[in-house]
Amino acid sequence: MQLTLAIHPITEIRFGENTRLDGTVLVTAKDELYRLASQVPGIESVDFEIVCPGESCRAGPIFDIVEPRAKAPGGSPDWPGILGAPQTAGSGTTHVLNGAAVTLLREESPGESRGVTGFVLEMSGEAASASHYAQLNHLIIIPHSKPSLPVHAQQKAYRLAQLQIAVHLARAALDTTPELTQQFDLSAAENLTASPRVAYVGQIFSRQRKPEADEPILYGTDTEGMLPTLLHPNEWLDGALVPSYHTSLGGAETYFYQNHPVIAELYRRHQARELNFAGTVATIASADNLDRERNTRFAAHLVKWALKADAAVLTKFGGGVPHTDLAETARLLECNGIKTAVQVTDLARDRRVESALLFNFPVVNAIVCIGGNSTQWKLPAVERVIAANSALAELLAGPFEIDSHNVIGVANQQGASRLRSMVY
Amino acid sequence: MQITSAMPIAEMVGANRLVLGNGIVHVVGDAKVSVDEEKGIRRQLVQKALKALQRDDD
Amino acid sequence: MRAVHYLNQFFGGLGGEEKAGAPLEVHTGAAGPGKLLEQLLGSNAEIVTTLICGDNYAVENQQSIVSAVLEKVREANADLFVAGPCFQSGRYGMAAGSLCSAVQAKLGIPVIAGMAQENPGADLYRDTLFIIDSGDNAAKMRDVMNRMATLAKKLLAKEAVGLPKEEGYIPRGLIRDHFVEKTAAERLVEMVLAKVKDEPFESEMIPTAFAPVPMPPGVKDLQKAKLMLITDGGLVPKGNPDRIQSSAATRWGSYTIKDRADLRSEDYEISHGGYDPQFVRQDPNRLVPLDVMRELEQEGVIGELYDEFISTSGLANPLSNTRRMGREMAEKAKRLGIDAIILTST
Repeated sequence: MQLTLAIHPITEIRFGENTRLDGTVLVTAKDELYRLASQVPGIESVDFEIVCPGESCRAGPIFDIVEPRAKAPGGSPDWPGILGAPQTAGSGTTHVLNGAAVTLLREESPGESRGVTGFVLEMSGEAASASHYAQLNHLIIIPHSKPSLPVHAQQKAYRLAQLQIAVHLARAALDTTPELTQQFDLSAAENLTASPRVAYVGQIFSRQRKPEADEPILYGTDTEGMLPTLLHPNEWLDGALVPSYHTSLGGAETYFYQNHPVIAELYRRHQARELNFAGTVATIASADNLDRERNTRFAAHLVKWALKADAAVLTKFGGGVPHTDLAETARLLECNGIKTAVQVTDLARDRRVESALLFNFPVVNAIVCIGGNSTQWKLPAVERVIAANSALAELLAGPFEIDSHNVIGVANQQGASRLRSMVY
Repeated sequence: MQITSAMPIAEMVGANRLVLGNGIVHVVGDAKVSVDEEKGIRRQLVQKALKALQRDDD
Repeated sequence: MRAVHYLNQFFGGLGGEEKAGAPLEVHTGAAGPGKLLEQLLGSNAEIVTTLICGDNYAVENQQSIVSAVLEKVREANADLFVAGPCFQSGRYGMAAGSLCSAVQAKLGIPVIAGMAQENPGADLYRDTLFIIDSGDNAAKMRDVMNRMATLAKKLLAKEAVGLPKEEGYIPRGLIRDHFVEKTAAERLVEMVLAKVKDEPFESEMIPTAFAPVPMPPGVKDLQKAKLMLITDGGLVPKGNPDRIQSSAATRWGSYTIKDRADLRSEDYEISHGGYDPQFVRQDPNRLVPLDVMRELEQEGVIGELYDEFISTSGLANPLSNTRRMGREMAEKAKRLGIDAIILTST
């Protein structure tokens, strides 16, 4: 399965008369976008704003961030299972507006699960320097959903509106020659018999919460009843997956499925012939002990018998329960002779190392820890606050103190984080 | 000694005398049975606990 | 800058193991390795007093030497207190740790100790003190003193203290986040490749090995035994008089069950967010089995059930709280002559 990314760098987004690519400037028309969004059931009205890197600007609470991408005809479909038929993602050519993002806001504060501000997009200052998103040009979508819409319908409306707009924008590049192309293809693997076979095991959901009715996660399914499954790396990159609506399961955005850091790194090393990218397993954190025993064993066996891996890297989706599943999966892999490295967050509420890890398996001894509980920032008042209503805007105006993991992109669990816990 | 339904954690921190409880939400109870049966279950668990207290080995 | 230095009988020049019972001695000025320390601390530094004590004496009279040392440090008007280095000497390390701890807490001046990582004093005091890792080779004294002096000067100047590896102290277990060049993804793949190729790698987090808890011998005669009930399920009297927090609780309470045959639901509430409380609310005996314990007491199976049960919330409770509370509860139980405890956990 071969995927070609046609990269079109974007340095600016501007409102204009229609949607087109003017060199590295993406021009788009508000009324075009408005018409698109209004067709989504549940959307009553919508506003749009443009935000550039370095601006004294803050937006939130963030629902999700998506990179504008569109499939060229002849390959797999855009967002299979959500916008189109659930055909296998990851082949053909995908045009990418690199440097741009389509960012959708929530209309309500997530409340206790994430702190009142939810995830905040910060475009300048100390917090911004820690997040990749501060370097992008954002088209911000401010949805106004129909009143008394049930939660699942509202969130679905957000999901559809955002993906449709992201695709629409990228279609402007379909007939333009890209600045560069990247190939994602594992077929050269036959020559890599000497290199270690490395697999990626990534959690895509956690059963601490039930998905909303009709919530799309994997090819449009909600993962209920799912057992760990094999996916080609290209499927992660090209539209098979979106994160859950639930903010409590934070640290994952569609943008970093599309630009998956772990998959990108494994591909890079594969192409450099330093390892043999054996493939990936998508898994879910469990509802209870029985579910955990079942899921972790399935995942470990796929890695051992289907991928025949020598080593695996693992990431999780969420907090403590996913952490436990992660550790247990790694332990089983090690017991099966497969070396692992796991990425965890710091779970200590008292900044002490003995409270940071809830597991103690001597074999699971290669740990990347992206911290999260030890860093807070004092966010200043900013010139521009973008939010769905004045109450939220007031909340976000600043100055206020924020936990680093509530600044979107900082404590990313898909591998993008540059935070590291150090023990003093 | 400790009566708990979360054995792995108790074992990890090194608790020496452990008895498995009857569920997180009613460790020495049972909401699904009659009051008398429940008392019986509780008594059994406590007696197990008392046995554990008397042991010299792990 | 005025410093006070604590040494054991050997480093203080009194003698070897035969002098381990020597009581606390006060010397003016630096003694033994203290002379080197004084040099390394700089020209404006002076060890005004050296306190020397036998290892056995120090361990057997911990309370009194702590008071005596505090007094001497106060008298000396010291800006800095240094103990050791103790290398692998366990009694010395325990004394050094306890004295440094007391001086830090009561007098608020910088304190430094030195000992080997495996020294029991290191285990007990590493999280509250800066303990330079001296290793177990006393021939490295100069090098160790150097690091002690350097860190001491930093503390005195209130400068930021770097990572354990940089400064040479035993990791204290405090986590701080840093921003690094490489993304987590890059670090993950790099680490796993090293591991699979059997090359050295540095894990970013080390799982805590919980030191095994020695098991006390079993209760010999249950029929004469005095038992107590403890719970971490957050069962408290209505109104939560001690305001025990539902999560990361720092407090625990002891509640009377005198003359009660069982626990009544109207008398209690639950301060714990981690489990569905409805069943215990309906019948608190489902968490704290008072009804059954009373029966067993009346039947003579156990000697006596203590008049109170202890309660706190175990939810999301860091070890820094629970270690302390556990110790406090154990102390209370010991004072009351309790023979055995049944701890019920959610």
